[in-house]
Amino acid sequence: MTISIPTTVIIMVLGLIGIGIYALLTTRHLIKVIVALQLLVKGAMLALVLAGRLTGQEELGQSLAITVIIADTIVAVIGMALAVQVRRVIGTLDLRSLTSLRR
Amino acid sequence: MNPNDAFILAVGLPVIASPVIYLIGRIATRKNPKVDLARWLALLTLLADGYFLFIAGMEFIQSRHELLIAIGAISLRLDGIALLLAAVVLALGTLVTLFSGPAVARDNGRETYFALLTAMIGTIIGLGAADDLFNLWVWFEAMALCSYVLVAFYRNEAAALEAGVKYLVQSALGTVLVLLAIGLVFANTGSLDLDEIRLAAQPSGLMLAAGALFIIGFGVKAALVPLHTWLPDAHSQAPSGISAMLSGVVIEAGLVAILRALGALHLVTVSWGALLLGFSAVNMLVGNLMALRQTQVKRLLAYSSLSHMGYILLGVGAGAVMGSEYSAAGGFFHILTHAMMKGLAFLAAGALLYSLHQAVGNHDPLVLDDLNGASRKYPLAAFAFSVAVLGLGGLPPLAGFMSKWQIFVGGFQTGNAWIMALVVFAALNSVLSLGYYAPLVNRLYRRQPAGIVEQGRPIPVLMSVPMVVLSLGVVVLGVWPSLADWLTGPAAQSLLMLFGG
Amino acid sequence: MAEQLILLTVGLPWLGALLCWAAGDRHPRLQHTLAVSFSVAAGIAALLLIPFGYERPLVTLPIGGAFGDFTFSPDGLGVFLAAVATVIGSLAVIFSVDYMRGEAQLGRYYAFVLFFIGAMVGLVLTTNLLLMFVFWEITALTSYALISFHNDDPKAVAGGIKALIITQFGGLGLLIGALVLFAHTGSYDILAVIANPGLLPSGALAWMAFGCLAAAAAKSAQFPFQTWLPDAMEAPTPISALIHAATMVNAGVYLLARFFPAFEGVPGWREAVMAVGMLSALLAAVMAIVATDLKRVLAYSTVSQLGYMVYAVGAGGVFAAQFHLLSHSVFKALLFLGAGAVIHSVGTRDMRQMGGLGKKMPFVRLVFVIGALALAGLPVLNGFWSKELILEVGLEHGNPLWMLIVMLVVSGLTAFYTFRMVWLVFYGQPRTELHAHDAGLAMKVALAPLALGTLSTWLLAGSFSRLLSESLPAHRIAAFPTGEILREVLTAPVTLIALLVIGLGLAAWWQRDRLTGLSQALASLGKAAANSFGFEAVNRAVVAVTQDSAEKLRSTQTGMLSWNVAYLVAALIVVLAILALGVGLP
Repeated sequence: MTISIPTTVIIMVLGLIGIGIYALLTTRHLIKVIVALQLLVKGAMLALVLAGRLTGQEELGQSLAITVIIADTIVAVIGMALAVQVRRVIGTLDLRSLTSLRR
Repeated sequence: MNPNDAFILAVGLPVIASPVIYLIGRIATRKNPKVDLARWLALLTLLADGYFLFIAGMEFIQSRHELLIAIGAISLRLDGIALLLAAVVLALGTLVTLFSGPAVARDNGRETYFALLTAMIGTIIGLGAADDLFNLWVWFEAMALCSYVLVAFYRNEAAALEAGVKYLVQSALGTVLVLLAIGLVFANTGSLDLDEIRLAAQPSGLMLAAGALFIIGFGVKAALVPLHTWLPDAHSQAPSGISAMLSGVVIEAGLVAILRALGALHLVTVSWGALLLGFSAVNMLVGNLMALRQTQVKRLLAYSSLSHMGYILLGVGAGAVMGSEYSAAGGFFHILTHAMMKGLAFLAAGALLYSLHQAVGNHDPLVLDDLNGASRKYPLAAFAFSVAVLGLGGLPPLAGFMSKWQIFVGGFQTGNAWIMALVVFAALNSVLSLGYYAPLVNRLYRRQPAGIVEQGRPIPVLMSVPMVVLSLGVVVLGVWPSLADWLTGPAAQSLLMLFGG
Repeated sequence: MAEQLILLTVGLPWLGALLCWAAGDRHPRLQHTLAVSFSVAAGIAALLLIPFGYERPLVTLPIGGAFGDFTFSPDGLGVFLAAVATVIGSLAVIFSVDYMRGEAQLGRYYAFVLFFIGAMVGLVLTTNLLLMFVFWEITALTSYALISFHNDDPKAVAGGIKALIITQFGGLGLLIGALVLFAHTGSYDILAVIANPGLLPSGALAWMAFGCLAAAAAKSAQFPFQTWLPDAMEAPTPISALIHAATMVNAGVYLLARFFPAFEGVPGWREAVMAVGMLSALLAAVMAIVATDLKRVLAYSTVSQLGYMVYAVGAGGVFAAQFHLLSHSVFKALLFLGAGAVIHSVGTRDMRQMGGLGKKMPFVRLVFVIGALALAGLPVLNGFWSKELILEVGLEHGNPLWMLIVMLVVSGLTAFYTFRMVWLVFYGQPRTELHAHDAGLAMKVALAPLALGTLSTWLLAGSFSRLLSESLPAHRIAAFPTGEILREVLTAPVTLIALLVIGLGLAAWWQRDRLTGLSQALASLGKAAANSFGFEAVNRAVVAVTQDSAEKLRSTQTGMLSWNVAYLVAALIVVLAILALGVGLP
């Protein structure tokens, strides 16, 4: 049995997205949340590359992916900076102590 | 000046000027901490930008030809929607820049504040004019990046950090969904250009999924209920000027992104408009009920933004489904008036927050009790605040009444029973909203001031100027609503073209 | 000339409002002077406008689009109500010079009073239904602001917000009416639909007709929206006289009268209008009998008298309704300002603490008794003639007899509560030590013309009927000379019956001690009346349910990030499901 490259990539995309969302729903650690976001973006990036390949515009797909990487890196940096400040000001990275704003 | 060049400058200038503002502001502050060069540079940039936008916009208004521009991978289109969003964000952004000096002066990093504010304004202008899906995403993401930092600007406050974290995570998840949707559309149609997609997109399950991902992904930023949960936190914890920007234009920019994406997919299904109208109903009701029992002023205003997004959705939704021009124009008119009224409300609340709390060095939120008798000491801020919230509640002769009216007229003109029922529901919601706006005004005009008011500091003049300008605008548009037709009319026509032309 | 007068009658009060506000609270004398001069000037302009009512000139401010052109056209109905609003408005302002002396925040007070007067004039002169709605809402806004003028008093704040929300809720009816009109005709022109109701399909016309009835009922504090008016009595008394007795509450009656030719053919509309008027008149009269707060008695009596007018419009008597509106505006403003003089002097509104005040305040007693006799409907005061005209209309056009009988009974109840009120305040023995003094000069200047008016406005019957008849062709109002109208009233059998019933009401008050058995039998009715027949409970329940669900909904904002993400995922699933089902608008 052979599995084509597109199918493999689709499974990977779905897997990454699924794991990412599952992690966001369940984790209680801020760093893990940021990691989960990274997984999600990687999944989306793969999808873009695959779309480029499927439509015969691989270069376009790849350039999209590279742009996403740049944006995504900035998100990660801001996220980590926030995490550092959270640790400094609130004293913990546990999401359960980030619930003062509600109702 | 060539209008095309003018528009390229209008989009590019704030983004390019942003690092310059930061650098020069930083150096100037190092040499003399009292000098606030960044703000004045930002102001200069925005004024120049307004001039460029004026040239490009006049050309579009007079010729009624959309300006199409492509530089490398960047493609821009100046149509009615783009012009409206750009005009609103520039006008409000300029006033916010003028306002923001004192409130951020005490904190380190005011050059960051003004640099990012300028950049955010530029990215929103770009977002409104984006002519291909990926461009749309890039501008959207850039806008989001600026706003993450601005929301958590008070980086030593636990609440601001918490708001920043929630905002970042939910928005980032949203942008991932948008990327997936772009992947689906790209794979199906082989194109990213909105016009080409319009022709190529055919009804299919995957395209439906792409539309859903667009709605939810961009909808996080547009504060569609139940994706709104970050909004009350972020809008209440951000510096007041940023709250004004977030409520006044950033969530509306999210909506414009939805409209651009769904417009390209408009042949895929008849459900887009119905979905927008559905969110409209939920947004109005939930926003009002959540605001009804708030005790923090900025949080109350944040929830009221949800319900106003509902009115806007009613206008553009009915415009998209039924092709009603008055509906669409009303929706865009409400984007304009809401930016003015909610901007004014946040600035007035911000001025009071500054003089009652921040100027004496504490970071407590402004609560309703702090407003008691504020008019005795701060007549201008109290009056501006009253004009803003009564306008939001839809009382004439204020702008909010007229924009809601135009939405309602359009809804009834469609002759569709569901839309007419929704209009009546919207009007009922306006009555409900008076249940929290009116007591707020009553508090301001008590004779016995709260203790905190008696010890409050004066409001700086530069904070007062934007309040005067916006109050006047809210009254003038309330008395003479057709003054905004030149802006809302073309935007409505552009929307109708997107969804059917 | 007419154009300038219209702009002056609306513009002068608004300009005065701006100036009073700008003058600043540190210059109260200047504020008093400004307010008086601008309101009097507006009154003069409105009186000068009356002759133009025959010509019906048109003033247009081009706005266009979804808002229509803003048009004004004074006709008989318009100039008459504009004159009532500005003349009584200026008297209330003059009265305020004494009543509000030494109060803080005078600028806000006068600005809103003048803003109100201008809006009321605009409301009756415009022929654009959107603009009418705008002015309608502005009067609601000013009414709210003035009811809760004393913002430190929680009762005043609650009363103001209650009035605002109930009138806004009813106002939705007018909103629907305006939207329906525009959707079907592409304009807001009131005159067009009055001249030719066939412009609208019958279903749409019915929506508009009943929408306007709801709006009118809310504005005029009629059944089932009557509950806001008694609570509005927290306002300073000149406001109660001006807004909540003589002018704003008339707007509902005006709306019904204005649209009568368009709506009379709508099945069930006239009967519904009559029923609303009758129920309001009856319930409010019963509540007035048991109330002990002087201003609340007057408020209930306002509801009851407005009920007469609404009933008259439904019965087809537009002229009778408007004529009673004129009488009522004058004598009720007189009663309220008189009550204001009493309250200002003794510092309480509770009639149980008053008694015997007539000796200390002879002038106020004199004018108050004149007003009270007119309210009770005794000849030859203005209230007598106009009320009898309404009762006569009840017999015409095949209107149901039982409704007329109810209205006759109400006139007996009116006489009863009026005499009870006058007695409790001015006669008998003082029940508590109260320091009373007679009215001040400005108060007397305001009260005297109203008392003279109460004695004499019925002489205008003839010219008033000619004005309405000539300028409102669609209303088919017949013009008669004064003498003929008076003769007709005097010779009508209903008049005799009504006088008999009024006499019975009077006798019941004199013989109240003998009637203890009856009053005990009616004790439960009194209790129900004191509780507003359950309408207050309904109001409270609506508020409680709304607040409760709002509070419960707040728990959905958990503040936990994972819940926020869960909402997002759930929303995605729902949207996908809706798309899969292909839901569109039918």
